[in-house]
Amino acid sequence: MKLTIGHLYPDLLNLYGDQGNIKCLMRRLQWRGIEAEVKPFLSGESLDFADLDVVLLGGGSDREQELVCRQLGEIRRDFGSYVEDGGVVLAVCGGYQILGDYYRTAEKEIPGLGILPAYTKWEPRRLVGNIILDSPLSLAPVVGFENHGGRTYIGEGAPFGRVLFGYGNTRTSGYEGLRYKNVIGTYLHGPLLPKNPEICDYLLERALERKFGGVWKLRRLPDRLERQANACMVERYCDRGYVWRERVGRYLPF
Amino acid sequence: MKKIGWRSRLAICCGKLTSTWIRRLHRGNGGTLPGYVARRIDPGILTVLSGMVGEGILVVMGTNGKTTTNRILCEALRAEGKKVLINETGANMLNGVISAFVLAVEKGGILKADYACIEVDENASVEILPKLGPDCVVLTNISRDQLDRFGEVDLTYETIKSAVQSVPGACLAVNGDDAFLGFLLAECENPRVVYGIEEEVFDVAARSEVLENAFCRFCGARLHYDLVHYGQLGLYRCPGCGFARPRPDYRAEDIAREEEGYSFTVEGRTVGIRTVSPYHVYNTLAAYGALRSVGISGERFAKALGSLDFGNNREGTFTIGRARVQLHLAKNPMGFQQKLSMIRSDSKPKDLLLFINDRAQDGRDISWLWDVDFQYLKEAGSVQIFTGGARRYDMGLRLKYEGIESQAVADIREALRRLTNKGTGNVYVVVNYSGLYPANHILEELMEEEKGGGHFEADHRSSVS
Repeated sequence: MKLTIGHLYPDLLNLYGDQGNIKCLMRRLQWRGIEAEVKPFLSGESLDFADLDVVLLGGGSDREQELVCRQLGEIRRDFGSYVEDGGVVLAVCGGYQILGDYYRTAEKEIPGLGILPAYTKWEPRRLVGNIILDSPLSLAPVVGFENHGGRTYIGEGAPFGRVLFGYGNTRTSGYEGLRYKNVIGTYLHGPLLPKNPEICDYLLERALERKFGGVWKLRRLPDRLERQANACMVERYCDRGYVWRERVGRYLPF
Repeated sequence: MKKIGWRSRLAICCGKLTSTWIRRLHRGNGGTLPGYVARRIDPGILTVLSGMVGEGILVVMGTNGKTTTNRILCEALRAEGKKVLINETGANMLNGVISAFVLAVEKGGILKADYACIEVDENASVEILPKLGPDCVVLTNISRDQLDRFGEVDLTYETIKSAVQSVPGACLAVNGDDAFLGFLLAECENPRVVYGIEEEVFDVAARSEVLENAFCRFCGARLHYDLVHYGQLGLYRCPGCGFARPRPDYRAEDIAREEEGYSFTVEGRTVGIRTVSPYHVYNTLAAYGALRSVGISGERFAKALGSLDFGNNREGTFTIGRARVQLHLAKNPMGFQQKLSMIRSDSKPKDLLLFINDRAQDGRDISWLWDVDFQYLKEAGSVQIFTGGARRYDMGLRLKYEGIESQAVADIREALRRLTNKGTGNVYVVVNYSGLYPANHILEELMEEEKGGGHFEADHRSSVS
């Protein structure tokens, strides 16, 4: 039994520890005795979605993102049918924006892949900080770090989670990310999966179901450090005094 | 000597008063607040004071190696008999730079300095450089650092570019091995000197890290490397458009690891540095190139370095009982990777404390821990690994993914006491920025305690955070 994880263009999209998400997907399969293989696809290499069970699309700088969009144009149809067929995708930050209809910066409009029902507009104020979500995919709150200039509008789509602390998709909508079929698009770095193992298991279970059929519920793991790392952030932002100190600290001139 | 206006005088006076009070109230060392006060009173104060520097102003920028390079510059200039003004470690934002100038002013509003050596934070550079009007700008390297502050590496690049373009007369002393800086040279008109290394000096653990800048900025083709030093540093060229690493004017040759440190030759002169970290060869070379570009002959350079301690208070060695504790600062993936390489090269068994905070000055985002290749820590022969700081569980989790056991500790004083009492007697403490001061402090206290027979408790000082 084996799953194949495709890491798309790690040479272009490698900001903010995306390796952590790859490592998490791989190890959590291996810890349960399931084989896992990671296939990195560098830009310019051909890829066949039929071989892949999980796809990870990370974030990059705007310049690199444009290079990626050009590359992805060639595999757009394959990628689209992979998603429609229930293929599992985790798209973080830049990857999330690319999968939408378009990304409008101050100067131009970069067309996206049109796979997710969302679009992004750039605004000068970057949304930066720790973020905590309440997501239907996880009992524990989802913790991460967001850092984006784009505001993503998801219309009627189902968000990844409700924002308990932080900014989320647009700062004002109160929601973060987007779920579409078995795709999760999100702004959460941190990296997302290691501290939110339930999300990782959710993705793996969907991938196993798609490949081997039936209903999968993975064996629970003793995630002691994972829970501590997660709870430590949740507790911190439940403390009003701390939140206040952090806010004030941001505006001090020295 | 130029006369300065009443407004500048008032600003200097208030700045100095602020500094005195900060020290008197034991509120830190007063590195930035005096500058803030002075600037509020006279916004043009920095231009006024930088105009009073006699011979030249040298600025050091880059992600890693700023402080060390700046200290080497300062030492070498002092060895030439020059009076040098330097900004304090880490005080490299606008207020910190102004503080350095304000506090150096003597009675009667005179600034007696032949040279000013100023390290400048990349983010603050656009604001600071035009005010300083430097003669030389040293650029060490550009890599990912505090992405929550800088956005992304490309933004850092753009910031530095517009900063150096705002001072078109300043000579750039540039690390030609850094592909980012290679692009920068191609895009700027400034006069320049280039330095570089063409020999293999960095080991596999130092090299292993996400390649920052694999693609040509001009044509988008993947860069080809004949040799990679670490990160994006190496001998690169673009197969697409012919863009290539600039030929260095100053090359470090015959680089050799010796008992006490490294030695190399540049322009036929042999230079020895007392540090086991090979990246200091770059810093030394950077300083050499910069000095040559402002017309210093470099004859006394090697001698000036003979006594230089490369620690800059950021790295220190403490003897506690029979244990030797080394404190190291690692604040971004490139820096951390270099430290791991260094720890691995120590063949003796060792204990480790990794102290990770996420305060504003560290960068709130700690995702970068996953960009560091910790698998080399497994081969480093560490017996016990403790993780501390506000993000100790994140650090532990990162290690778990490499199959490395660690123990999270809330109280690092207690942890250090345990490590120094029973352990291998060879302790490495790696901290990021905000952990440095408390770690230094605790280690000093433990050292005192041990000397005083273990009864000495320094309660009056333990309130420092």
